[in-house]
Amino acid sequence: MIIYLATALLVILLAIVFLYNNLIQKKNAVNNAFYSMDVMLRKRYDLIPQLVDTVKGYMIHEQQVLSQLTGLRQQAMSTNMDINSKVALDNQVNNALQQIFVSFEKYPELKASQNFLKLQGAINETEEQLAASRRFYNAAVNDYHNAIEMFPSSIIASWMNLQQKAYFNIPDSAKAVPSININ
Amino acid sequence: MATPKSFDQFVSSDLAMLLVPLEQERKKVASMARISYILGGIGVILFLVSSSSGQMAFAVSGFILFGVAVIIFFVFRSNKEDYVSSFKEKIVRSIIKFIDPELEYKPGLCINENDYTNSGLFLQRADKYWGDDYVMGKRDKTSFCFSELHTQHREGSGKNEHWETIFQGLFFIADFNKNFSGRTYVWSEKDPQLNFFTRMFSGLEKVKLESPDFERTYIVYGTDQVEARYILTPSCMERMVKLDEMLGGRGISFSFVNTNIHVAIPGHELFEPSVFSPNDNRDLGNYYYTVQMVFEVIDELKLNDRLWTKE
Repeated sequence: MIIYLATALLVILLAIVFLYNNLIQKKNAVNNAFYSMDVMLRKRYDLIPQLVDTVKGYMIHEQQVLSQLTGLRQQAMSTNMDINSKVALDNQVNNALQQIFVSFEKYPELKASQNFLKLQGAINETEEQLAASRRFYNAAVNDYHNAIEMFPSSIIASWMNLQQKAYFNIPDSAKAVPSININ
Repeated sequence: MATPKSFDQFVSSDLAMLLVPLEQERKKVASMARISYILGGIGVILFLVSSSSGQMAFAVSGFILFGVAVIIFFVFRSNKEDYVSSFKEKIVRSIIKFIDPELEYKPGLCINENDYTNSGLFLQRADKYWGDDYVMGKRDKTSFCFSELHTQHREGSGKNEHWETIFQGLFFIADFNKNFSGRTYVWSEKDPQLNFFTRMFSGLEKVKLESPDFERTYIVYGTDQVEARYILTPSCMERMVKLDEMLGGRGISFSFVNTNIHVAIPGHELFEPSVFSPNDNRDLGNYYYTVQMVFEVIDELKLNDRLWTKE
């Protein structure tokens, strides 16, 4: 009788250990994915001064958006923000960039510049890498939410006081990356 | 630009003249094979008759006939090779030049075994590796090459030894339009190369993507989760599913290694002319459509969109 009880307890204990480790793994995967995204965000913020310098001489009507972009970048570089604030800032930067990308069409002399073409390639690459890292982050968050909400790991999750994380918004226009096409 | 209609015209005007002497050669080769089989068959029958009737004369004549049949068969084999070679040089080469004069065609060559192995598409070691009909060229900005390949693996030993085909079909390598440093594999759900155990030692992670259609058709592994998603964008995934449908769901697989894309399309004897029946317009059309299929892969995956830092 005691042996059966002991075995049952051992099985339950093993299950708890397994579920706990699984939750930790999923939580770490989210942090890991966020760091990858942070690297991509940084790459993109680094391109902003180059973008502003290249286009400001041509894009006379977009000066306000360009200075907004510069300001947002300074904000991103200066403070240590939590994930949710970074998400909000990223969305603002997205909106400003979208406005700039759409305006490229109005300036044919810009599209003829070699510097601009190289920059275009670099921006496209960075934007797509960022989109990829956002997708990875969202997938990690989804896995994590499944683990903390589904029975029985939800029980362990509530003991560990694990909270939901914010998803990154992949703006519709960035899902099919703005193909800044010269043709 | 080559179109199906212009191709039909090309067949009836330019190729028709080349096909006449080849057709005569084909008939000679085919009849040689038939004679060999018939003589061989008669030889065997005579042998059987002799064993039941006990008459040595039947056995001897059966044996001689069979010997003659074997000799004719070897001659047939050699003539067949000459015929196929002639056909490829005259007809297949003309068709390829018609599609694009800049394409290079080397009937006797195939994709390099190192490139095949480095693609990582097939994890079993190939004990036999052969192929032919190598084509290389450039479609707009995308350099590519392809060939037929047949690779096999030896199973069992001694009396139980037999050969298992790893891959038979079209193997195609093209320059991919994005830079990447790791490896990403997109295997068909019909033939996933890794199981639960082999995955543990492969250094690869399973990549779960957002598209249900894509997940039903393919299974993805890679060295980097972000890079896999950078390559496999939502629109790219949609196109890969479409490609699978276009090719009749035969189970194509892709790998992204060394900034190239590798594609394995299963199929049989794509460029071999038939020997026992005339090569009609449909057979000739097949050569045209095989090359066009490669172009479709390049166009469908938009490899010519060079919007990033790779030129």
